[in-house]
Amino acid sequence: MEKITFDNLQETLFHEKLDNGLSVYILPKRGFSKTYVTFTTKYGSIDRTFIPRGKKDFVTVPDGIAHFLEHKMFDKKEGDVFQKFGVLGASANAFTSFTRTSYLFSTTENLYENTKVLLDFVQEPYFTKEKVDKEKGIIAQEITMYDDNPDWRNYFGTIESLYKEHPVRIDIAGTIDTIEEITAEHLYECYETFYHPSNMAVFVIGAVDPDEMMNFIKEDQKGKEFSEPEEITREFPEEPLEAATKKTVLEMDVQRPKFNFGMKCNRTDLKGEDMLRQDLAVNLVLDILFGRTSEFYTNAYKNNLIDETFHYDFTLEKGFGFATVESDTENPTDLEAAIQKTIISEVENWTITEADLERARKRRIGQFMRSLNSIEFISNQFTAYNFNDMNLFDVVPTLEKMTLDDLKDAFSTISSVESHTVMTIVPKAKEN
Amino acid sequence: MFKKVVLQKGVNLYIRQTEQFKTITMSIKWISELDAKQAAHRAVLSNVLQDSNAEYREQSELRKALDELYGTVLYLDASKRDNTHIISLNMECVNDEYLSTDGVFNDALKMIQTVIFKPNFKDGTFDESVLRREKRTVIERIRSIYDDKARYAHKRMFDLMRPNSPASISANGTEEDVESITGATLLDTYENMLKNDAVDIYIVGDVKEEEIVEKFKEMFNFQEREFVRKPSELDVYDVKDVKTTFEKQDMKQGKLQVGYSTPVSFYHPDYPKMQVTNGVFGGFAHSKLFMNVREKESMAYTVNSAYAAYYGVVYVMAGIDAELEEKAVKLIGEQLDALKNGDVTNTELEQTVALLSNSIRSAFDSARGQIEIYDQYKYFDADFSADKWIAQWKAVTIEDIKQMASQIKLELIYLLSGREA
Repeated sequence: MEKITFDNLQETLFHEKLDNGLSVYILPKRGFSKTYVTFTTKYGSIDRTFIPRGKKDFVTVPDGIAHFLEHKMFDKKEGDVFQKFGVLGASANAFTSFTRTSYLFSTTENLYENTKVLLDFVQEPYFTKEKVDKEKGIIAQEITMYDDNPDWRNYFGTIESLYKEHPVRIDIAGTIDTIEEITAEHLYECYETFYHPSNMAVFVIGAVDPDEMMNFIKEDQKGKEFSEPEEITREFPEEPLEAATKKTVLEMDVQRPKFNFGMKCNRTDLKGEDMLRQDLAVNLVLDILFGRTSEFYTNAYKNNLIDETFHYDFTLEKGFGFATVESDTENPTDLEAAIQKTIISEVENWTITEADLERARKRRIGQFMRSLNSIEFISNQFTAYNFNDMNLFDVVPTLEKMTLDDLKDAFSTISSVESHTVMTIVPKAKEN
Repeated sequence: MFKKVVLQKGVNLYIRQTEQFKTITMSIKWISELDAKQAAHRAVLSNVLQDSNAEYREQSELRKALDELYGTVLYLDASKRDNTHIISLNMECVNDEYLSTDGVFNDALKMIQTVIFKPNFKDGTFDESVLRREKRTVIERIRSIYDDKARYAHKRMFDLMRPNSPASISANGTEEDVESITGATLLDTYENMLKNDAVDIYIVGDVKEEEIVEKFKEMFNFQEREFVRKPSELDVYDVKDVKTTFEKQDMKQGKLQVGYSTPVSFYHPDYPKMQVTNGVFGGFAHSKLFMNVREKESMAYTVNSAYAAYYGVVYVMAGIDAELEEKAVKLIGEQLDALKNGDVTNTELEQTVALLSNSIRSAFDSARGQIEIYDQYKYFDADFSADKWIAQWKAVTIEDIKQMASQIKLELIYLLSGREA
C-alpha cells in the first residue's frame, strides 16, 4: 500500500491499485465520527458513442442513459438497496455528471457491512424490462421538475448555446422521448463497458483504519470475477471554436430575468499538472476580474445590474470547458455590455498586477483549507481530479507557483469573443 | 460539548475546543421577538452591516482586506426560529497553524469588532446610498421566491395554514415593510439590537478557552440586557374542514403540498416520538412515502414529509403530474393511515432511528452543524449531546408511532400547477 503524506496539510493518503484494476484511496480524518465512501465510474452523460466491450463497432446509445443506469442500480431482484443501507444506519445516494457516475454512502456505524453493500450493489447488475419501464415515470417527473427550474434551464441553455456538436450540450437526464427508447439490453451494454473495476475508483474518508479497510476491499474484490481490463474507445465529434449560438432568450413564468454569460474554453486537451495549472489560473483570473473586489463587481452592484444571485464558475474536463458569469438582473442588456467591456479591455490592455495575483492566491489557499474540513468535498473533488490525472493535494503548491504569465495564458483560452454566448430567461409577455 | 461562559447578563459565549478542523468558526447571534416589520429592518440591517463600515467604506475594500486574511469568510444573515428573529454574524478563518503567517484569527476578530460597532455612518446615520441598495437587494430576495416553484408552494402552504402567525412571517419581512425603511428607523433597529437583543456567541476550533474569554471581554463591550425567550404556545387547531387550494402558474409539473396540524411541538415531551413518526412517514429513502408513492407507483421523483416542530405542522411535498393530484393525495393519506393503524414493521422503525442518528452525528462533523444543532437543543439541556438525544429516539415504539400519527390531522391540500383550477 502506497502512503502519501502532505505535511503542511497534516493529511495522509493511502492508495493501492488492485489486481483487477480498481483504484482504492483511503484518507483517515481525525476527530470525525462519520465515514464517507464513494464508488465512482468514469462514465457520464457525454459517453454516448463508444465501442461496447467485446465488440468491434461503435454504437450510439439514447441520451440520458448513464443517469438512467444510475437509478436502476439501486433496484435489485430482492428489492430496493436503500432499505439495506437504512437497516445499517447509512444514508446512501448517487449522482451522474457529464463525466462520472458516483455511488456513495455516509455512516457513523457498521462501516464494513455498509461498504460491502456498496461494493455488491454496484458490481451486481440486475435489469429487467418491467423494472426499466417502471423507472421511466419517475425519471420523467425528474426531467419535468428541472424543466420548471429557471436556474437549471439557464445553466443548461448556456452550455447548449456554447456547444454545437459535443454531447456536453445534452441534458444529463436526457429527454422524456430519449428515455422512452432505453431498454434493459442498453443498460447491460453500458454497464459491461464502463463499470469494469479498471475504469473505477473507491474513495474512503473519515473515521477509518486504512489497513483494515484496504484489506477488506481487497478480500471482497478477490472473491468476485471480472474480465480482463480493456481500453475503452469513446468517440467525440469535432467541436468548432466559436459558440453554437450567440444569443438565446427563453420565456418562463419568472418575476425577474436571469442572465448568463458563457465562455467556451479552447484548450481542453490537457491533463495532470498542466490541467490543474490551467484550471486554477482561469479561476484566479475570474476572481480578479469578476470577484467581489473587482471594479466590475463594484460598479455592477452599485448600478443594480447584479444582486445576491451573482455567481461565476469555471468547469474544465477533457474535451470541454466553459466559464459562466450569471445573475438575476432587471437589465440584461447593460449587464452583458459590462461583462463584455471587462473582457475586451483586459484583452487589449492587460491590467492584472502581482498584487492582484498575490491577494487572489491567498484567498484561494484559504478557501482550499476551509474545504478540507468537508469530507464530501475532498472525496468528490479528489475523484474528479484523479480521473484527469490531477492530485487534489497539489492545489496549494500549484497556487504558490502561479505566475502572471500563467494567468495571461489561461485567460487567452476563454477570452475570444466568437466563443462567447449570452443566455437570458425573461418573464412571459402578458396575454391581453 | 460547548463550554458556556456568561460574559454579561443576556450575553453568553459558547466555546468548543477541538482539533477536528483546519479553521476557526465563529457565529454571533442576536435574538429578538419575531415581527414582520422588524424582520424587514433586521434583514436589511444585516446586509448594510455586511456591506461596509467606518474603516472600510467600500465593499471592495472590505473584501480585499478579507482576501488578505486568506479568504476569511464573513457574512451576516437573517433567519427565524419559532417566534424569534435571529441575525447571525458568521466568520470562518484558517487556523494560523496551517499558514506561513500568524495573526489571521486576531485580525479577523478586529474586523468583526469594526463590523458590529463602527458602521458606515454619514452625518450620524447609515449611508443613504448603501441603505437604498440593500433595501433593493432584500426586496429582490423576497421576489425571487416566486421563481422557485417548490419554495413558492411551500411558502403558500404556511400562508394559507397559519396566516398572521410566526409560521408565515418571513425572516426578511415583506416587500412593503422593506420599502418603508428609513435611515432613522434602521438606526433605531440597530441600537435596539445592540442594547436589547439576547446574544449568543459560538466559537469552534483549536482555540484556548481562557484567551478567548479575555479577548472577548476586552474587544466586545456588550452591556447587560434582558431578553427572555418565551416558547410560542400552539393554538389548538380543531380541524373540521379540509381546505383545498389550487393555484395556477405557467409550469409543467404540479407541486403538491399536503399540510397537517399536530399539537406536538418542539417543546412537547413527545417531540422525539414525533420526529421518528415523521421519519417513518416520509423522512427518508426507505420511508412509506418514498417506497409507495415513488417506487411502487412511479408517480413522483420527489416525495417526502417534513416536521416543522415549532409550528406544530407536518407536511408532505411532492412533484407530480397535476392530473394525478387526487390519486397522489389518496396514496399519501393511505400511508398516514398505515401509521395510525400501527402498520409499521420493526425494520422500518429501526431504519428510521438509525438514519436519524446518522444524520445528527454527521451534522456534528461540521463546525457549523455543531453550532446550529447545539443552539437549538441547548434549550433542553446545557450538556446536550447527540448520544443523549439518540437514546430518546431508540426508546420509541410502534405503539408510540400509532399514537403520534393519530394526532396528525389533515388540514390543507395545496396544488401549484399549470392546470386550470
